[in-house]
Amino acid sequence: MSSHAAAGAIDHHHDHTTSTGIPNKKLFMWAFLASDCMFFGSLISTHLIYRLHPPPGSPVPRDIFSIELTSFSTFILLMSSLLMALAVNAIQKGNVRSTRRNLLGTIFFGLIFLGCQVFEFNHFVYEKGMTLKNSIFGSTFFTLTGTHGCHVAIGVLWLTLMYIRTFKPADADSGRHAWLTSTFSHLILFALAVVTWMYLVLGFINEAIESHVSGSMVTAYFSAHAVLFIVGVILAVALNLMSRAKGPIEFGEANAIDVEGAGLYWHFVDIVWIVIFTAVYLLEYL
Amino acid sequence: MDALARSDFIGKDATPTAEKRPWIFTRPTTKTGLVSWLTTVDHKRIGLLYGFSALFFFLVGGVEALMIRVQLAVPNNTFITHELYNELFTMHATTMIFLAVMPLSAAFFNYIMPLQIGARDVAFPRLNGFAFWVFLAGAVILNIGWFLKSGVPDVGWFGYAPLTSRAYSNQFAWDNSTDMWIMGLQILGVSSVIGSLNFIVTIINLRAPGLTMMRLPVFTWMTLITAFLIILSFPAITIALVEVMMDRSFSTNFFEVSNGGLPILWQHLFWVFGHPEVYILILPAMGIISEILPTFSRKPLFGYPIVVFSGAAIGFLGFGVWSHHMFTTGMGTVATAAFALATMAIAVPTGVKIFNWIGTLWGGHLMMRTPMMFALGFVWMFMMGGFSGIMHAAAPADAQQQDSYFVVAHFHYVLIGGSIFALFAGIHYWFPLIFGRKVSETWGKISFWIVFVGFNTTFFPMHFLGLNGMPRRTAVYDGNMNWNTPNLIATIGAFILAIGIATYFITIAYTYFKGEKAGRDTWDGRTLEWSLPNPPPEYNYAVIPTIHERDAFWYEKHHRAEIEAETASHAKEEASHGGIHMPSQSWFPFITAMFMLLGGLCFACKDSINDTLSHIDFVSARMGDHNIGILLAIVCGVFVVLGATLWAFEGPGGYHVHIEGEDDHGNGHGHH
Amino acid sequence: MSAVTAPAQALAEHDHGDSKFQIFVQIAMILAVITGVEIVIVYLPLLKWLVVSALVILSVVKFMFVIFYFMHLRWDKVFCTVLFFIGLVLAVGTSMALLALFSAEASAPIVATP
Repeated sequence: MSSHAAAGAIDHHHDHTTSTGIPNKKLFMWAFLASDCMFFGSLISTHLIYRLHPPPGSPVPRDIFSIELTSFSTFILLMSSLLMALAVNAIQKGNVRSTRRNLLGTIFFGLIFLGCQVFEFNHFVYEKGMTLKNSIFGSTFFTLTGTHGCHVAIGVLWLTLMYIRTFKPADADSGRHAWLTSTFSHLILFALAVVTWMYLVLGFINEAIESHVSGSMVTAYFSAHAVLFIVGVILAVALNLMSRAKGPIEFGEANAIDVEGAGLYWHFVDIVWIVIFTAVYLLEYL
Repeated sequence: MDALARSDFIGKDATPTAEKRPWIFTRPTTKTGLVSWLTTVDHKRIGLLYGFSALFFFLVGGVEALMIRVQLAVPNNTFITHELYNELFTMHATTMIFLAVMPLSAAFFNYIMPLQIGARDVAFPRLNGFAFWVFLAGAVILNIGWFLKSGVPDVGWFGYAPLTSRAYSNQFAWDNSTDMWIMGLQILGVSSVIGSLNFIVTIINLRAPGLTMMRLPVFTWMTLITAFLIILSFPAITIALVEVMMDRSFSTNFFEVSNGGLPILWQHLFWVFGHPEVYILILPAMGIISEILPTFSRKPLFGYPIVVFSGAAIGFLGFGVWSHHMFTTGMGTVATAAFALATMAIAVPTGVKIFNWIGTLWGGHLMMRTPMMFALGFVWMFMMGGFSGIMHAAAPADAQQQDSYFVVAHFHYVLIGGSIFALFAGIHYWFPLIFGRKVSETWGKISFWIVFVGFNTTFFPMHFLGLNGMPRRTAVYDGNMNWNTPNLIATIGAFILAIGIATYFITIAYTYFKGEKAGRDTWDGRTLEWSLPNPPPEYNYAVIPTIHERDAFWYEKHHRAEIEAETASHAKEEASHGGIHMPSQSWFPFITAMFMLLGGLCFACKDSINDTLSHIDFVSARMGDHNIGILLAIVCGVFVVLGATLWAFEGPGGYHVHIEGEDDHGNGHGHH
Repeated sequence: MSAVTAPAQALAEHDHGDSKFQIFVQIAMILAVITGVEIVIVYLPLLKWLVVSALVILSVVKFMFVIFYFMHLRWDKVFCTVLFFIGLVLAVGTSMALLALFSAEASAPIVATP
């Protein structure tokens, strides 16, 4: 029994070296997700328990929530789930380019979701006066959605690492490329780009809400943050350059299991949000 | 299943030739010395690491217990301060549960289980090593308070809110002990869950050909069920600990009554974890007993399917009874009755197991060796603990027993008479396999009897103390409560128990260095691990066995010709695959775990760190209002992620071992 | 499963793979529509228990679509489904038990009457 040379020769649903045919990493991931169900179950239970008898003076969620924003972010997360499934699908067929595009898409939508959360938290704290500390609702709400947000952030990090991993050159171990250095540079550039652009976009949205979009407002914002914009553009160009094809890479169908593992995590984070959206947001509107 | 083929799903083999990997991915290859232990991925070594750590902490917990008993020997004693007393009962329980019994069970899971399923290692060897080093990190965080001004945790092992709130940690500056308790338990939780996920994948996926689930040794079954209990119950305490940490560190209101918090929620979340936890403590022990009784009765286990099913039933039902720890908290009639009924129901599968063990002994040719003595002691002592447990299940009776010494008696009977007896039995039983030496029967039996007498002398009187109203966790009691004599007897018993434990440990230690060498298959065993040389070679099986029946080794011994032919043909197959594939050692599990330790300490002691470092102008100028302890913890967190990333990029690696010159006894001489 | 049948299987997977693309996109559309319906339902003048039941059912439908299709359980070995459902059932059961406990009269927090 030798290794499978031809592309498409890997059966992605069956690993003949294990007793059940399920790849080890997949089994591990599903067991972990079963555990994570109990994790979020406890957290969601805490929130719902505290909604049974809210103390007097508690904030009224209806007055605080913005269902439009939350619906938008729910939709975003669902779309990110689609892109993730497509990424896994692509790598199972050995299509690395498509995988990269879908991974980037998933990351992008994940970042939008996170941006919405950051915006929402800011809005609740500064405009609605609900903080982590000043009410039990604030404590449970921010801890629950914050923990979910952390899971999304971890997912984004994982997917980013996966994306960068797709660039590992086939002769990495020959010592000819300083691939580890370039990998970490790629990661750092990506992280800086994310931080820069999220800051710029969120800042712009805040401005837009305060002083309404107009030509002069846009120009003013741009000039106030000119340096950061330039940095952001440079980073984007650098990232684009780093993603150009540079010879054969060591990433293909054999790595599909790792993308699938990341995908399982990402989809789980999505289904937890499905539960949170209903139990924490929608039910408050009744 | 084609165990010998190369999976499509794992990374490249490390090819020694034409390799110029970045230096950071150089794999350590030394097999001796400190580095070989720090970077080990061998399940047997990891098992030994867990075992030695567990035995060390068992002694620490024992000293804590003795100090408690000295304090309680006479009424109104002034041996120790009340503050120290609180620390002692907290640490005694935390140490015994999380740092002694659980890791000792983990030692057996690690060492024995892969051997019992015919595997060469666990599914994720580096992750296995990581789980151990993270365990050590947690153990350090819990105990480092002994050396610090803040002291060790003193809130009880169950840390009930609101005692754990910030308001009660203001006795003096830098009162971080509860924060250390929270962080220590969180980190131990990470270790347990990761280890258990690994075991689940191993048992489900790495079984030798022919080893169906219903042919698994019972110890392996109990390992699997315990692993499920761990991954499903620890999240509840993780969340509870997160909530109390948020309350203490970020002023949230989860358990802050003035702002709408409900401290009773802590109790619920804790016991949703806490009850399965006690089954986590006892199921591995039951698994060990289920191996020892058949071996020393020279009969197969009576009712194997029902023993396995009962174990699973206990595990599953164990999630539905948690509030029996809360009968006196006023949950209401319906809730109390429901949990009382569920608790009584759980006695059924437990009882079924006891009957099956008796059935195993019945009509057997009993060999009264030391492991058998401990095993028989287990059956009887655990049963007694079960009786007092059933008494607790009746909620009206529990109304009197709760928080009294009756509970202390109950759980020490099931934990010492149950878990510890079984684990001690396991040490004697598998000692010849692991160390190649046989423990002296005389001294083994002497240690058993002293332990048995000491244990019962200590804890039997506590039943009466409890029924006569003596409350738990009180540093002193008055002299006119009629509690004096039983307490004195219990203390004397504790010292007898201590002598017994000392005898046991000295006997084991002596045997390790100078004991009589044991031949292979010392006890004429029934399960696969006994087919190996003692100690087993690094690669375990020279040829992966094929399983034909339950008690696979027993079958092998009675069908020698068939097995020999099979082994010969499989050996050819394995050789044609390039030899035995072994996982490479790695630094990353150790390094990543050490950054977790550092990060955990930084976060738990963030206020102390902030106070100290703020005196430095450079720091206070830059940090302003922000806490530098949190910043340092975040930095450590970044290094944890870095360690994990490099670990992923390093890949599984691996090298091949070729067996040469195997003699008829299967003693191979491996070389690379 | 030998190497001989694996490529043949994988070939079937290829065709399967193209149709999977379609399936995923269609499901994403369905999920978006269901989310829209959920939001609308909340504002309709229906009885509360009806709306709550509808929301729960719709969420469960979304949940099942994601795990069986996006997470591939439909095409994987059934043990993966069993494994996940153990955790899911336990989590849901524990949550419901906790909510029942805290909804009991005995568990209502004591309120100071002025």
